[in-house]
Amino acid sequence: MRRPELAVRTDQEIVALARSGEEAAYRELVRRYERPLFSLLYRMVRDRELAEDLAQETFVKALNAIESYRPEYKFSSWIFKIANNAAIDHLRRRELDTLSLEGSPHAETPEAIEATALQIGDRQESPLDEVEARELGGEIEAAIAKLRPEYRSCILLRHVEGRAYEEIAEILGLPLGTVKTYIHRARNELRRELAHLRP
Amino acid sequence: MTGSHESPLPPDEFDQWLDAQLAALPLFEPSLNFSDRVMASVRVPDPFAIRSIRTARRRLFATPKSVALAACLALLVVGSMAASVVWTLANRDTMFAFGGWLASEAGQWAWVGVRGAALTLMEQPWFAGFRGLLDEPGRLALASAFGTMVYVTGVLALRRLLTAPAPTQRVAHANW
Repeated sequence: MRRPELAVRTDQEIVALARSGEEAAYRELVRRYERPLFSLLYRMVRDRELAEDLAQETFVKALNAIESYRPEYKFSSWIFKIANNAAIDHLRRRELDTLSLEGSPHAETPEAIEATALQIGDRQESPLDEVEARELGGEIEAAIAKLRPEYRSCILLRHVEGRAYEEIAEILGLPLGTVKTYIHRARNELRRELAHLRP
Repeated sequence: MTGSHESPLPPDEFDQWLDAQLAALPLFEPSLNFSDRVMASVRVPDPFAIRSIRTARRRLFATPKSVALAACLALLVVGSMAASVVWTLANRDTMFAFGGWLASEAGQWAWVGVRGAALTLMEQPWFAGFRGLLDEPGRLALASAFGTMVYVTGVLALRRLLTAPAPTQRVAHANW
């Protein structure tokens, strides 16, 4: 079903073909963006299966609404915006659902804190967890994971995806100045976190 | 965050090293059938319908003449519909009278049709014998029971024919 000649066309041309009902054009859009989107989402949520679900949700949402896409904007900005929103929504939901692992905030004595803390040390690692640990186990990945989600999106889009500041501002729906500030702060945090590493 | 660490390199060199490290991060691949799973949930529009609509739209707006023609046609249709509504509202009595006349005419024609069909039936050579057969109540009841039985048997047979048989065994390698 894939058509190799589509690989040389621009995103706008592929979108026009998709709008005219060519299934191969839809597949080409998925082929072009599956790795960048999945990588961004994986680094945002740090769970392979969940990142794949979010990437699938992003593609389905974008491709089913392809008629509403406005060609004067970059397709990549549009689809990255949908993916980033999906990731941020998920992280916010997860934050609400997260229980304190360090014991109840109302506990006053060390015994009470220990009694109310969740024990997760015995958890068995699945093969998938091992893959994730290997893939995201580097010092850089760990430092990125410690950043706030907004800083993480900015730094990944800027330095891993190579997007321009203006495009990042468009993707995240933030003012340009805020994006620059976020990237500056994120870099400072990374610098502090990775200071012990010697190249 | 550990704020106590000191960078071992001057800021510019450290920034360059950090940029290189970030740019060297690999892209990850989703699982093998990822695109198929995406495509299974995507609604691809029917190209024939899209082409037809686009062709009609292109032809309609191809020249000022075709646009004017289309506008005239649209105006004619909408205008005649509006005129019809206005006239009907202004002449309700006429419309009611016409409706009554139409209903009585239809009734008369229906009655003539039924009478004609009955007369044709009665003129058939087998009609007298058939009528004689149903003269007695016992025979009439028997004929009715027979007719009902034939009808019910026919319905059951049709239903059986239309019902798809349930699969008795699975096909190897098929995704059930």
